[in-house]
Amino acid sequence: MKRSKKAALILMAPAATLLLAGCGEQEQEVHVFHDVDECAAFYHPPAACQAEFEQAQAMHTQMAPRYQNQLECEADFGAGQCETAPERHQSGSFFMPMMMGYMAGQMLNRGNLAGGQAQPTQQAAGGSRPAVPTQPLYKSRDDRSTFRTASNQAVASQPGVARVRPSAVQPQRAQLVRRGGFGQQAAARQEAMRRDARRQRSYGS
Amino acid sequence: MPVVSAVTAANMKRVQSTPRPGWQAYAESLGFQFHTIDGEPYWDESAYYQFSLRQIEQDLEDVTEQLHAMALDLIPDILADEQKLDQLAIPADYRDALAESWRRGDPHLYGRMDLVYDGSGPAKLLELNYDTPTSLYETGFFQWVWLEDQLMRGELPAGADQFNSLQDKLEQAFANLALPQPFHFTSVRESIEDKGTVDYLLDIATQSGVDGRYIALEDIGSLDGQYYDLQGEPITGLFKLYPWEFLLEEAFAEQVKTSQTLWLEPLWKLLLSNKGILPLLWQKHPGHPNLLESHFDNGSALEKGWLRKPLFSREGANIELVTADGKRLSEPGPYQDAPFIRQGLQPLPSFDGNYTLIGSWVVGDSAAGIGIREDNSLITKDSSRFLPHIILD
Repeated sequence: MKRSKKAALILMAPAATLLLAGCGEQEQEVHVFHDVDECAAFYHPPAACQAEFEQAQAMHTQMAPRYQNQLECEADFGAGQCETAPERHQSGSFFMPMMMGYMAGQMLNRGNLAGGQAQPTQQAAGGSRPAVPTQPLYKSRDDRSTFRTASNQAVASQPGVARVRPSAVQPQRAQLVRRGGFGQQAAARQEAMRRDARRQRSYGS
Repeated sequence: MPVVSAVTAANMKRVQSTPRPGWQAYAESLGFQFHTIDGEPYWDESAYYQFSLRQIEQDLEDVTEQLHAMALDLIPDILADEQKLDQLAIPADYRDALAESWRRGDPHLYGRMDLVYDGSGPAKLLELNYDTPTSLYETGFFQWVWLEDQLMRGELPAGADQFNSLQDKLEQAFANLALPQPFHFTSVRESIEDKGTVDYLLDIATQSGVDGRYIALEDIGSLDGQYYDLQGEPITGLFKLYPWEFLLEEAFAEQVKTSQTLWLEPLWKLLLSNKGILPLLWQKHPGHPNLLESHFDNGSALEKGWLRKPLFSREGANIELVTADGKRLSEPGPYQDAPFIRQGLQPLPSFDGNYTLIGSWVVGDSAAGIGIREDNSLITKDSSRFLPHIILD
């Protein structure tokens, strides 16, 4: 026999469509502030504000997005808004944006007098809902009012209470790695073909 | 019973056939999303080709392995000769890395050579697609399934076979290559056809016990001379369905020299996927029955009975030819930027008005089956249809 004895597939037969995690996920209340004083001004205990801030600050060095140089960083975060990161690459230091605020995922015990709403109960301990970790926040060059997480998720446009989907604000380690350095020829040739109203279907042969 | 003359019976035949009802939906359920492209049929089972076992074994299988050995045999000659490397337009910056990939014995997985063959006489080598060959899934899997289905339905004579051990051989290769784990597979994000081919290889590799993972080419990361996946882990092994001559012109090319990544196909395949291998083969084996006379192009006007194609091109792009009676044919494309070769024109045989090309697969160093493409012109292109075949004596 000149043909394969069997030809099975185990991955290619498509599985049932996966629903995106996060659909129907319950939002959780968090507190967003520029600094410890602002947190305390919202009637939270200063000690709790300070503790959360320090926690966010410690995560800042791990989570802040990394750039090859200051110029690239400032292009996203604005002039004078970047600092050197702890890591070095072959030709210098990485840069990262400065921390512009923080998000407290834990309850700040004093209570939310300003909002007057009932306190959400902390359900993370029961494990039924993922908690929102306390983390640093940033502001982009083009949009100085919005607080964003290290992975560029907008969370609030003013200090105080905000609601977030926990899955959208899970901290990730900063990526030092550059991407997009392969595939440029494909893009260029695709463009050349488009001018001839043709399309390059494959980069195989 | 149709009366068939003895001469015709021995010949390769094109046989009309009834497509399996509803095969399109079935194809899609098996991951074959590109069976029809831009509304035009690509997989075409309204006919099949029939060969005798002798034709397959002597004219195609043996010839494929012989041509493959001749091509590999040229590599040390090329590496030892700067002029040949110049002729093949190998970037000077990467010659050391390329030679190193050969001396180190970086493994190769697969390749496909395109042959002109009409059932009699020696098959002639048109080119080696030895870096990024496609039509793999169609050949190794869907053609195989077609045969089994049609045998089961009684649409094909019992005992019909197929020259197609592609999937078996790929599975063995993945099991034997001792690839670094995990092993990544990559293709250009927007090409569903390339993703289909890569998914198929990933599937086979997984069946062989390889911890295979997909990453879009555009998502590959680079840091300090290494390549990284989206989880930030170094890429230790990478199958890429993307030509080396493109990769080496791109922003992350430099790290090819420093990274620990094992590439499939290896960098040395740049020599064989290059159309310049055709004149070099001809120089070493002039008059070989399975070769067409070939030369590096000198830029002069193309004479009757010759064809011109770029060193690097795909899917029939930028090919120009003049038939024996002076008819000029050309195919536009995005590959104007490489030097060209010219090759004696061996017109593709015509079956019921279709021009037929045979893609003959090599896995490791073994012939592993064929896939057939049909076009309505002498130049086989990405729009050419794929037809199945059988062996029947």
